[in-house]
Amino acid sequence: MPKLIKNGEIVDNTYVWQQDAESAITENAIVPMQKWLDNRDNIGTVAGIWIDAGEGIEPLEGVDLSQFKVIGVHFPSFMDGRGFSYARLLRERLHYKGEIRALGNFMADQQGYLIRCGVDSFQFAEDVNLDIALTLNKPFSVAYQGDVSDPRPVFLRRT
Amino acid sequence: MVQSFMYQYDAIDQQLVEERVAQFRDQTRRYLNNELKEEEFLPLRLQNGLYVQRYAPMLRIAIPYGMVSSKQLKVLADITRRYDRGYGHFSTRQNLQLNWPKLEDVPDILEELAKVEMHAVQTSGNCIRNTTTDQYSGVIADEVADPRPYCELIRQWSTFHPEFAFLPRKFKIAVCATDSADRAATQVHDIGLHLKKNDAGEIGFKVIVGGGLGRTPMIGETISEFTPREDLLTYLDAIIRVYNQHGRRDNKYKARIKILVKALGIEEFRKRVDAEWAHLRGSESTVPMSEFDRLASFFTEPTYESLEEQPEVLTNKLAESNGFARWYERNTFDHKKPGYRIVTLSLKKPGQAPGDATADQMERAADLADQFSYGELRVSHEQNLVLADVRQDKLIELWEAAKENGFATPTLGLLTDMICCPGGDYCALANAKSIPIADQIQDTFDNLDYLYDIGEVDLNISGCMNACGHHHVGNIGILGVDKKGAEFYQVSLGGASGHDASIGKILGPSFAQEQVGDVIKKVIDVYVDTRTEEERFIDTFRRIGIKPFKEAVYAKAN
Repeated sequence: MPKLIKNGEIVDNTYVWQQDAESAITENAIVPMQKWLDNRDNIGTVAGIWIDAGEGIEPLEGVDLSQFKVIGVHFPSFMDGRGFSYARLLRERLHYKGEIRALGNFMADQQGYLIRCGVDSFQFAEDVNLDIALTLNKPFSVAYQGDVSDPRPVFLRRT
Repeated sequence: MVQSFMYQYDAIDQQLVEERVAQFRDQTRRYLNNELKEEEFLPLRLQNGLYVQRYAPMLRIAIPYGMVSSKQLKVLADITRRYDRGYGHFSTRQNLQLNWPKLEDVPDILEELAKVEMHAVQTSGNCIRNTTTDQYSGVIADEVADPRPYCELIRQWSTFHPEFAFLPRKFKIAVCATDSADRAATQVHDIGLHLKKNDAGEIGFKVIVGGGLGRTPMIGETISEFTPREDLLTYLDAIIRVYNQHGRRDNKYKARIKILVKALGIEEFRKRVDAEWAHLRGSESTVPMSEFDRLASFFTEPTYESLEEQPEVLTNKLAESNGFARWYERNTFDHKKPGYRIVTLSLKKPGQAPGDATADQMERAADLADQFSYGELRVSHEQNLVLADVRQDKLIELWEAAKENGFATPTLGLLTDMICCPGGDYCALANAKSIPIADQIQDTFDNLDYLYDIGEVDLNISGCMNACGHHHVGNIGILGVDKKGAEFYQVSLGGASGHDASIGKILGPSFAQEQVGDVIKKVIDVYVDTRTEEERFIDTFRRIGIKPFKEAVYAKAN
């Protein structure tokens, strides 16, 4: 079983990230957002959907997101930071409470910021050493800005 | 204990810079161990100010909004001696660049910096960079309010912002607090903030967005006439969130926010920002009065003495010493308190690269700050150092000391007070050298009487289209270009970076290196022959246009 990092632990990855819109849909699939939107009336149960860079979260406004166990945010490149905003908007704007999973080409060194934006699981590329990656997920013990876990900026927390 | 008039770190600020050093130390170790790929290490090192340059890495250290204490400056001097070649380059955006550090030493350098509340965080990379402002902040009479507490607020908000560390491109914010002059070039920044008071006396910001230089120079457009200061951070979050999601990522030359603003038009861009802001306004990120008070409490006034304006000793010296009078006229500026002046220590000595300072000079400047200006200095956009609080009756003594240390070149604002990037002598991106051009112009215009007669001219030199020398907004701009492997220089005229900001117009075909001094001479001759009594170079240019200059420069060559 492939592994991933979820909530600070290395666990089995029980979902299948369907990168290809043509793949057959299964109950444990994470399917492309647009494919789900286009077929939502007859697509059946899926584990969740994933959002590609450039798609934005606007198409999900009005959708009951509680039906998804997971929403993936895809990083085509670790230089492409759109997913940071998407994750944050899923949490803060659409109030999604389930798992948000980073997919694609992101870096272990980005986990700290991604977690603060609401991502709680990381499906790394196969060549990434998860034990090492796990040690990199909290570079800072304090923060200036509010974030998904604590909306208060530092000026509301300084004593 | 020495009293401080700058921001002081508390335990949280200190912990963050220390954790950053530890993080970068580990990243560097993993890179050197081949555990981090080159392309992965790239954005991580850039966000710590580390470039890999032509001959060695270049480390860019932040001097947040230009404020540096004498103690910090001495540490910077020490670092340049121990880890570099004993000098540094002050850049146009209130940073200090070291040109020869070793990659493996950089974590140690950052650790030294953290000990004196300094860092190199986000001085490069596609993130929010060091916020800059007026080097005369807090000591001039006509500012709406001291911009530095707001700059510190922005510094903290932008530092390790979790959402905005991988933007489409770099993002620069500058703050200006006076209507009389914009000394921070705010209109050519991604966001320019102008401190304002509304009719009710409340403080806020006029917000300008989408300015920038580089390949596609643009003057920013006003997105908000007045954003109350308590809403500043949510408004900035809204702007940058729109940019992060919609800025172009397919072409790095079209990735700055200016291109997005231009493509959408300011109306549509504003609409999107307002829609985003509607969700954020009033949230926890709204800044409470207590935080403004806390930040302002660091930037207190020293206990100024009750002094006489223009004391006799000063008046006498001005009458008897032409050299002193020149320096006083050019390199000192009105202070808000009677009997004080703001003094610029020039880093434009002929023979020295503009903005460069040796370790000895940094230490001497720090000593002068201790002796004459409450132990505090500022770094200016024009790449000079500033002592903000000098007693007028001490100016003669300071002038003598400044002369001894190469700080008294009395040319502030004149043609040879050039802004200049490090250019092809150091920078891997450059198409051409800039420092020899600066030298040539210093040589061509070495007569002070002539320079004074020419009057105020901003001359800016960039070694390539990245425009670190801001050539587009120089009254005279010089740009290094590559012509079939040879270094050539394109000249533009009519740029300006203040409240009357404008982008210069290209004069015509480019010139070989040895022609540049002569070309600038011809340009200046046209101005001198055509000007009316009151006109500065830029005024004459705006009146007569580029044609007479073009004719004069290209006439003989044809």
